[in-house]
Amino acid sequence: MSINFDPDDEEYYGDMGSIGSVKFDRILTGTPLNTGSIPRGFSILASGNAGAGMDLFAKQFASVAEDPENTILVSTSETSNEILSVYRKYDWPTDIRVRTMGEEYNKEVLTRELAASRYRIEGFTLSDIQKLAQTRFVEQKNHDFLTDLATQVTSLGPYFRAVIDSLDFFYSRFDPARVTSMLRIMQAHAQRNRGLLLMTVSDQAVEKSTERELMAICDIVMEFEVGMRGSDFDTRMVIRRFRNAPENLAFITFRVTPEEAITPETVERVA
Amino acid sequence: MLGAPSYERDRCVTGIRGLDEILRGGIPYGSAILVSGTCGSGKTTLGMEFLMNGARAGEACAHFSATEPSVKLLENVRQFSFFDMSAVDQGLINVFDMDVLFSWLGLDKSTFNLDDIDAMVKAITDIVNTIGVTRLVIDSVTSLCYKVPNEQLIRDFLFKLGKSLSTLGCTTLLIAEITSVGGTAHRSAFGVEEAIADGIIVLGDVERMGHLLRYLQVVKMRGTDHSRAKYALELTRSGVMLTPMLKWGVSD
Repeated sequence: MSINFDPDDEEYYGDMGSIGSVKFDRILTGTPLNTGSIPRGFSILASGNAGAGMDLFAKQFASVAEDPENTILVSTSETSNEILSVYRKYDWPTDIRVRTMGEEYNKEVLTRELAASRYRIEGFTLSDIQKLAQTRFVEQKNHDFLTDLATQVTSLGPYFRAVIDSLDFFYSRFDPARVTSMLRIMQAHAQRNRGLLLMTVSDQAVEKSTERELMAICDIVMEFEVGMRGSDFDTRMVIRRFRNAPENLAFITFRVTPEEAITPETVERVA
Repeated sequence: MLGAPSYERDRCVTGIRGLDEILRGGIPYGSAILVSGTCGSGKTTLGMEFLMNGARAGEACAHFSATEPSVKLLENVRQFSFFDMSAVDQGLINVFDMDVLFSWLGLDKSTFNLDDIDAMVKAITDIVNTIGVTRLVIDSVTSLCYKVPNEQLIRDFLFKLGKSLSTLGCTTLLIAEITSVGGTAHRSAFGVEEAIADGIIVLGDVERMGHLLRYLQVVKMRGTDHSRAKYALELTRSGVMLTPMLKWGVSD
C-alpha cells in the first residue's frame, strides 16, 4: 500500500531531518546549509555505555519535533518530571508526546510484585481473605508493553519522529526474537511514512546475534563511547554505518554545553 | 496390668448418606483424604455436599477451585437441593479461585519451585487458620501438582500441606483426577498422592448388565475401621446417595 504524501508536507519536511544539532547536521552533510542530515524514512540505532550521553542525545533528537503531535519520546528509565526538567534546561519545546514506560511498569508490575511479596512473607489478613473469597476473576494485568510500543509508534502519521530510549527495557523482559520482530515492524513503518526512528541500546544488553540483527535493521548505527584523557572525560560518537553514504562514517568527539547540549568538537572521517 | 485401650478418634461426620456408615461414624478429624475419580464420577458434588453439611452444623468451610471458575462451580452446584447459596453469602462456605490466589501470590506461572510451593502451602494454611476452617476441599490437587516439576516436590508439597492442615484440625478432601480405575495400581495421577494421604476414597464407573454405574470405595482410612466394599453411588438432586452394591453380575 503506497502512501500519498501531501505536497505541502513534502516541501515543509524536505528529504532530510535534523539529527538534533545543527553542527552535527553540517558535519554529516558537509555543507554549511541547515538542511538536516538524516534521510527521512531512516531508522537509527545508538548504542553505547552508560554516561556516554545517549539519553541526552535521545532527548535532543526528539526535541527537533517538526510536528510535536507527531513526535514521541518513549523513555523506559526516566520519569516525566526528569524529562521535562531537561527540556526546560535546554529550552527545547515541551509539547511533544512523552511516554514513560519505565514509570508505568514500576507502577503496574512492581506494585503487584511488592504486594505478592507482602502476602508471601506476612500472610493474609482477615480482610485480605474476605476480598480474596469475593474475587472471582484474575484482573487483566499482563500489560504487554512491547505490543503497546509497536502500536504507539505505528499509529504515528507521515514524517513522524519517534525515539525509544532504551531497548534494554524490552530485551530484558521479552523474548528477544519478538522484540526484534516488533522493531522490524516499526522500521518498516518509518520507511513507508518517511518517519525518523531512533532507538538506543546499552552495550552488552543484547546477545551478539541480536546486536547483528539490530544493526541490519537500522540504516544508521552510531556508538557512544566515554573514556578518560588525562583528567578529562572524553566522549565521542562513532558513526559505524550510514546506509548509502559511507562518506559519513566518522569518529566525532563531542561535549555537552549548557546552550546546545551535545555539540561536536572534532571529526575524523573513516572513508 | 493395663487393660486394652479403647481409644476412638473424634470424627468429622460427612453427612453424606451411606458414607459415615462405611467409615464407622465419619472421617477422623484432621485427616487429609484423597478423593480420586474419573471425570463425571461425582467428586465435586461429594466435596460440596461435605462442605454444605459442615456449614449447616455451623462449621467454617473452604473450597479451593483449581479446575473451573468458582462462578461456574456455584452455578452448577445450585441445581442440587442440598446446596444453600446463603452459606456462601454468610461466609460459612468460602470459595476461592486458585488462579486468583496464584495471581495474588505472584504464582501465575507454569512451573513452581520450592519457594512457590512453600508460599502456596503457607497461604492455604493462613486462610484455614485465620477463619478457623474445619472442612476444606481442594478441587483438584491434580491440577496443582501439574505445576510441580518432579515427584519429590509433589511429595514435599502434599506432606507439608497435609501436616499443616492436620495440625490445625482441618479435615481435608483432596480431589484427584484419574483417567481410569480399571486396575488397582493407580489411584492418583502422580502416584505419590496416595502414599501421603490419610485416606483414599475412589470413585469410578462399573458396568453392570449394560449399564454404567457409579461406585464409591474406601480403599484406605487411617484411624478407623471401614468397609472396603464398593458402594453404588447415585447422584440425586438431594446429593450423593450410597447403597451397598450387590456382588452378582459385576464385571470390573
